[in-house]
Amino acid sequence: MGQISEQLPIVVESLNIGFLQTLKLFFVTLTGSFPLGLVIAFGSMSRFRPLSYLTKLIVWIIRGTPLMIQLLIIYYFPGLVLHNPIWGSGEAGRFLAASVSFIFNYACYFSEIYRGGIQSVPIGQEEAGLVLGMTKPQIFFKITLLQMIKRIVPPMSNEIITLVKDTSLARIIALQEIIWAGQAFMKGSHGISGAIWPLFFTAVYYLIFNGILTMLLGRLEKKLDYFR
Amino acid sequence: MIMPILEVEHICKSFHQTEVLKDITFSLEKGQAVSIIGSSGSGKTTLLRCLNFLETPDQGIIRVNSETLFDANDPSTRIESAIRKKRLHFGLVFQSFHLFPQYTALENTMLATELLAKERPDYKAKKKDIHEEIRAQAEALLAQMGLENRMDNYPHQLSGGQCQRVAIARALALKPDILCFDEPTSALDPELTGEVLRVIRNLADGNTTMVIVTHEMAFARDVANHIIFMDDGVIVEQGAPSQIFGHPAEERTRQFLKGYMGTGHF
Repeated sequence: MGQISEQLPIVVESLNIGFLQTLKLFFVTLTGSFPLGLVIAFGSMSRFRPLSYLTKLIVWIIRGTPLMIQLLIIYYFPGLVLHNPIWGSGEAGRFLAASVSFIFNYACYFSEIYRGGIQSVPIGQEEAGLVLGMTKPQIFFKITLLQMIKRIVPPMSNEIITLVKDTSLARIIALQEIIWAGQAFMKGSHGISGAIWPLFFTAVYYLIFNGILTMLLGRLEKKLDYFR
Repeated sequence: MIMPILEVEHICKSFHQTEVLKDITFSLEKGQAVSIIGSSGSGKTTLLRCLNFLETPDQGIIRVNSETLFDANDPSTRIESAIRKKRLHFGLVFQSFHLFPQYTALENTMLATELLAKERPDYKAKKKDIHEEIRAQAEALLAQMGLENRMDNYPHQLSGGQCQRVAIARALALKPDILCFDEPTSALDPELTGEVLRVIRNLADGNTTMVIVTHEMAFARDVANHIIFMDDGVIVEQGAPSQIFGHPAEERTRQFLKGYMGTGHF
């Protein structure tokens, strides 16, 4: 144990840097996939059949294959197969490729949750808006949206918490997130080698962050309790 | 001869193979109230939905103030973007209110008017004045509905009768030429229908032009200037309340009214 307490400050400093990358990927993914999911949801609900079929095909492929495979294909396919390494080299390139993979993947899951939320708002709400002379966008943004958000907070919370942990999949393309940082101490890093405990210790970061998220999402749910 | 404010001519509407409206023709004068009665499934609600452009008739013409709002044979009257403005000639009060749950009674009443005001060319310059004006108007309407103490309540905090009165205020806020009611008391507990019917009666006394679909026969007889009896998608008989309720000419009307005798609705 004495050894661990000596190593702790070094490990924590390194894990902090890794976790910062984890957080960056987490927030970038949410920022991109929240709106993109809405676009996909409208695509799959479109009355223009080709668009709705195409959207459903994409959602099927993305939800039907592992995110890890998607990461590998998106990162390596342009460079190794097309000989056109669009992502650029180094950590910045890996982060860009990981962000694109995560945004698409999560947008597809979000789109289905959005669709369920939108369709659960009674049709009478839209009709009331129409007879009051509102446009379709006004009806969506002023009437439907908040009612949809209220309904989807619980399933979205689930996905958001899953995303925190899923960011660790980016390790497969060597993104230097917290798992990568923890693992580094096994091979040797900062003068420490053969240590497995830093990898185990990363779980504490996830646990605390998810605890904070659960609390915030619970507050949001409470805040939307003012109407039914 | 007074020009009718509303003219409905030869309206037909089918859903798949089912003919719901078959050649409906009637007119309405400004300041008058017409009540449409008939059993469930007779097409009353579909007729109101056609007037409010929630359904598109297969055949027929709808005119308001001699302006042709809809003509099934004239594609230029069916353009989606123009329909929005045409809807504003009509207001519709739904059976189950359809208030917006995330807004207070006052906000429900103001929302559509505020969104429309944003299209005014002078909106940016007079934003504050316009907002105040809309707010004052909405408050006056809610007070007229007897809801001066309920303005800041959300729909789930209100009774059914109060909700329906907010819905009436919301429809009136846009100053429609013709206000339509689709069975306004059918979703209410019996003890709450009185307050809503009283409000509609007051509107009739104030010469609001109205089309009222209702199952409250006594109310229809008292409030309406004109009664239309519909059955199976056609207007069987129409005329003054005294005529329809006192001396119905058609056997179907007699049979229908007989069903209401002694039910407390008559």
